[in-house]
Amino acid sequence: MKALLPLLVVLLASCTSTTVDEFRQGATGINSDESVVILGRRHSSDYETRAEFVDCVGERMTTGNDALSVIPEKQFVDAMFPWFEPRTAPLRTRDLERLMSEPVVADKMAEFGVRYMVWLDGFTETSGRTGTISCTVGPGGAGCFGFGSWEDDSTFDARVWDVASLQNVGTISTDATGQSYVPALVIPIPLIARVEANACIRLGDQLKQFVNGE
Amino acid sequence: MSYSIQSIAKALCASVCALVLASCGVSKVVIEGSYPTPNVAKLPLTLAVVYDEPLRSFSYIEYSETGAEEFNIASGESHVALFDAVLPAMFQSVVQVASLEDAEALGVDAIFVPAIDEFQLALPYKTKLDVYEVWIRYNLRFLTGDGAPIADWVLTSYGKTPTESMRTADSAINDAAVVALRDLASSFSLSFAQVPEVRDWLASR
Repeated sequence: MKALLPLLVVLLASCTSTTVDEFRQGATGINSDESVVILGRRHSSDYETRAEFVDCVGERMTTGNDALSVIPEKQFVDAMFPWFEPRTAPLRTRDLERLMSEPVVADKMAEFGVRYMVWLDGFTETSGRTGTISCTVGPGGAGCFGFGSWEDDSTFDARVWDVASLQNVGTISTDATGQSYVPALVIPIPLIARVEANACIRLGDQLKQFVNGE
Repeated sequence: MSYSIQSIAKALCASVCALVLASCGVSKVVIEGSYPTPNVAKLPLTLAVVYDEPLRSFSYIEYSETGAEEFNIASGESHVALFDAVLPAMFQSVVQVASLEDAEALGVDAIFVPAIDEFQLALPYKTKLDVYEVWIRYNLRFLTGDGAPIADWVLTSYGKTPTESMRTADSAINDAAVVALRDLASSFSLSFAQVPEVRDWLASR
């Protein structure tokens, strides 16, 4: 029974499935002196792309084989202020074209060496919360009993703009779902599905290949 | 040194009462953030800016559904810090003065007087949305160097921040307000020269 427990934990904790779709609209490739900037969309009224997810994808693209130079989002947005704020950021490539006609914007872009601009848009939704866990504290000690579970669903789109040609060169979509469980028998044992982390890893890897033209 | 059971019980009771009262009291949030300098073309003007006392000491109180004070949000100094970062990037020279009279005495090209008209806060437990939201409405006045009005217009700004499990309400309100202040800075710096009265005045110089 003791030997089966780690296996059970691994099985329960790894209940995440991730799907990645790529739609290529143009040729890609990047030189060693060029860089990529990853930005989160924040213009929607009821959600915004988390900065932590944007950072995670960026970090993933800077590691491993064919690592890319990625400009941190905050550094870029602050340096380009006020042109990439939620209300002023370009929503389409023709908005970027208009923006690049501003000498201060074009100069800053050239200074950063930005070749590709990646717009991440999405969020993680939690649904299907079931079960209850009750905890009690008494003179003899404390303990919890019960079972809880929920489902997380991460949906993110990455639109890749080529700053050199001012064209949308492709879109990569990722959808990850996973069930998390918290059984409690005296001590609660959280078995959390790493849904957003898996979406970040898969999207980061796919984006790296896409930008490198593979 | 010895303590009676009664004195220990009294001290314990006082501590618990103080803790309960503190947890029921208003939460004071002083907005703090850093604001980048805008990348915009400078106007060749010498500007005097008047931060009056209502702006400097501006604070907003959010009441709970029972009418008790819930959050006291002080954003006056943060607004001053924001304009101090934005105005020098928009104008050739900026000088800060205490009153309109002082500004008129300086012989500058123009005077700018910002004021906060209204502040609104939306909390997740009231809106049932997973975001903290802040709206701010400003009244902005632009005058000639001798105090004659050029333009008087309203600008609104908006900021939001998502709820997160390990983030306190105070921190989320601060972040939403900082986003709203950045929104003000971006709209103000990009739209200032497009305000019809300002545009006409600039063209006439």
